[in-house]
Amino acid sequence: MLDFFTIFSKGGLVLWCFQGVSDSCTGPVNALIRSVLLQERGGNNSFTHEALTLKYKLDNQFELVFVVGFQKILSLTYVDKLIDDVHRLFRDKYRTEIQQQSALSLLNGTFDFQNDFLRLLREAEESSKIRAPTTMKKFEDSEKAKKPVRSMIETRGEKPKEKAKSSKKKGAKKEVRFLLTGSDGPVATSKAAPAEKSSLPVGPENGELSKEELIRRKREEFIQKHGRGMDKSSKSMKSDVPKEKGKKAPRVWELGGCANKEVLDYSTPTTNGTPEAAVSEDINLIRGTGPGGQLQDLDCSSSDDEGAAPNSAKPSATKSTLGGMFGMLKGLVGSKSLSREDMESVLDKMRDHLIAKNVAADIAVQLCESVANKLEGKVMGTFSTVTSTVKQALQESLVQILQPQRRVDMLRDIMDAQRRQRPYVVTFCGVNGVGKSTNLAKISFWLLENGFSVLIAACDTFRAGAVEQLRTHTRRLSALHPPEKHGGRTMVQLFEKGYGKDAAGIAMEAIAFARNQGFDVVLVDTAGRMQDNAPLMTALAKLITVNTPDLVLFVGEALVGNEAVDQLVKFNRALADHSMAQTPRLIDGIVLTKFDTIDDKVGAAISMTYITSKPIVFVGTGQTYCDLRSLNAKAVVAALMKA
Amino acid sequence: MATVNSRRVGDGGGAGGTFQPYLDSLRQELQQRDPTLLSVVLAVAVVLLTLVFWKFIWSRKRSQRAVLLVGLCDSGKTLLFVRLLTGHYRDTQTSITDSSAVYRVNNNRGNSLTLIDLPGHESLRLQFLERFKCSARAFVFVVDSASFQREVKDVAEFLYQVLIDSMGLKNTPSFLIACNKQDIAMAKSAKLIQQQLEKELNTLRVTRSAAPSTLDSSSTVPAHLGKKGKEFEFSQLPLKVEFLECSAKGGRGDAGSADIQNLEKWLAKIA
Repeated sequence: MLDFFTIFSKGGLVLWCFQGVSDSCTGPVNALIRSVLLQERGGNNSFTHEALTLKYKLDNQFELVFVVGFQKILSLTYVDKLIDDVHRLFRDKYRTEIQQQSALSLLNGTFDFQNDFLRLLREAEESSKIRAPTTMKKFEDSEKAKKPVRSMIETRGEKPKEKAKSSKKKGAKKEVRFLLTGSDGPVATSKAAPAEKSSLPVGPENGELSKEELIRRKREEFIQKHGRGMDKSSKSMKSDVPKEKGKKAPRVWELGGCANKEVLDYSTPTTNGTPEAAVSEDINLIRGTGPGGQLQDLDCSSSDDEGAAPNSAKPSATKSTLGGMFGMLKGLVGSKSLSREDMESVLDKMRDHLIAKNVAADIAVQLCESVANKLEGKVMGTFSTVTSTVKQALQESLVQILQPQRRVDMLRDIMDAQRRQRPYVVTFCGVNGVGKSTNLAKISFWLLENGFSVLIAACDTFRAGAVEQLRTHTRRLSALHPPEKHGGRTMVQLFEKGYGKDAAGIAMEAIAFARNQGFDVVLVDTAGRMQDNAPLMTALAKLITVNTPDLVLFVGEALVGNEAVDQLVKFNRALADHSMAQTPRLIDGIVLTKFDTIDDKVGAAISMTYITSKPIVFVGTGQTYCDLRSLNAKAVVAALMKA
Repeated sequence: MATVNSRRVGDGGGAGGTFQPYLDSLRQELQQRDPTLLSVVLAVAVVLLTLVFWKFIWSRKRSQRAVLLVGLCDSGKTLLFVRLLTGHYRDTQTSITDSSAVYRVNNNRGNSLTLIDLPGHESLRLQFLERFKCSARAFVFVVDSASFQREVKDVAEFLYQVLIDSMGLKNTPSFLIACNKQDIAMAKSAKLIQQQLEKELNTLRVTRSAAPSTLDSSSTVPAHLGKKGKEFEFSQLPLKVEFLECSAKGGRGDAGSADIQNLEKWLAKIA
């Protein structure tokens, strides 16, 4: 049933492989490694790739990975248990080979695991088939057969309560209440005959008898059925008995209040206008102590809080220090392997720390899950505590996230486009007010400094003043780079068609214009739009599909918190949905703006790169033209991990 | 008590008599069988010796005896690693961590090098390079010759990074660019790869130095490769860069041996 099962080391050597089908397993496994393990999405242990589902398990102590692949349409229940068994068996059998540091032992060892694996697979398959189908119960076994028939017959004019109680009594002599005339009752008592005549005379007779029997019956039934204390039965009897009186007494609600006129009248016996009688409370208590006229400064009396908390923490702290001390010693000296419980508290603290640094909440959760997965079972080196190991691993994974793919080198790609004699088109998209136009101006200044000519396309035809803003920027940039300095060639120009027109059409015309006039770069500014606004997202997707820009940059501000996840997901989805091509154009890079407004709460960078796995191309740190930077992953992670 | 006496005597005596009181005190202590001062001195001496010894060994360990195998993903580094060490063929997957092993060079001196195979994936490569570059004596940059034409920009970018890093090291390591996968028919030759890389690095050094500075402006401007004004050539670098062709898979795949004699010879040369 399995397509394949591989065991390989984290260094890349395949130690053992079982192939159920003839296809090679390297493709799906590589896809698994690249998308899950390397992008820190290792929270849950299954992954879907084309038609296969892959489940994996990491052994962090010996640096091994176990991967099993089977068809997506099958739902095999024994796979998890199989992986665990195989892991345990393999580890125990080849402990010496996999334990050493050098790779030579792995290379030289032969891992003849086929027979063991087939045995485990057979056991797992059989165990999943073992549960025999449940046979249906025969009628005699069912509960219905145990109930006498007479209890199931309904009669009119009888209290249903009584009937229910009497039906539970097994083997007791009951009166038969028949409504049917002329039918042979299965069991008849002496009272059956008069009961046949009519139902009415039955009533009072039954009522007499049942009042005496009622208490007895109820007592027995409760002992039989529930086996609870006597007070419950007596309570229910008490509550039932007044009801049985034949008249329903109104239920008394304790907190319900009453509709009594006198009680509801709260008016004091005074006439309007006269002041109330003097309050008997202490005036000083109301006024409080302290100067009345002036406002005093806020006095931070945090000493009270500090005094309260350590007192409660002290008794528990003393208990835990002893255990903690021994654990610390053990961790310092010996080789202690990490377990989930050890990491739990540290990971919680780290997760809260990340969230405090403005990383989106669910991304922080997923990150910590993935780090826990990577560290579980790992043997710590000497002189390293759990906290330091976890922090180190988290730091590495954060740096890994911030360097996702090939760097977007704009200048290099522009040179390529120059050679092919067509303009390089960049589109800026994002929600309202993140700084698209400002950063567009900064980037065009940078390009001008590097000697490329820029055409700015004003495709924001909605916001009042958008075109004027870009015109002002163009004027300033021309002043900084006049045509005289560059051999009579206009280096920067604005292409606009006013307000209210279709943005995609303007972009197309701008690109054609740039091609004719020989501009190197076209920067397309779009209107800001909320990610939930479906018609606007469709319009943006249309602009990008029709014009096929070389680079689609999403502009996001560094102040955004959990909202970043939503924005990016919805933007990507809109672009993917409305694209006609096989491989839709998604966001290619991120511009992170307003970075100077956050001190070290740089979590938005992590959220954005984690969601899209695209790099951060530029960072905006101000509103002047020189405030454009590129991302330094180590510095950002250092700021993030700083306490 | 003894020390007080010796100090008085020491003050009165001259330079020649300074040692005498100490010797006297030592002798007295040994006679008293309560050698506190002696044991303290001895302990301090032992500690100093161990420190010196440890530092010596530590610096010895950190001396560069490592050869790093770097390159893009799927260029064949792990298979090359396996072939160099055992000569057999093994299936490989994308590496997530580094692997290291001691390699006995087959020259008459019988030196040994530590071969370290670093992962090539984009998110990991820089981290591992940072970690291991200090102990590197030589770099082997593995290039996939068959898909070189498609990936030339990525190869050049990573090569640029590695060159910049290795030029910043204290000792200049040897550099080898191994054009792997020569067994495939479409593989480019080493000469062609060299020309293409030179052209690509020529433009790359301009664009990389023109990129916006990083967030913390304390980072220095990256060093310029080669000579300004002239077209970039590998001979302009202060490092020695060589090119050679090899094939880790070998002509006959799993069965045959790999075509890595050139590589082994080069390793023997630098050991």
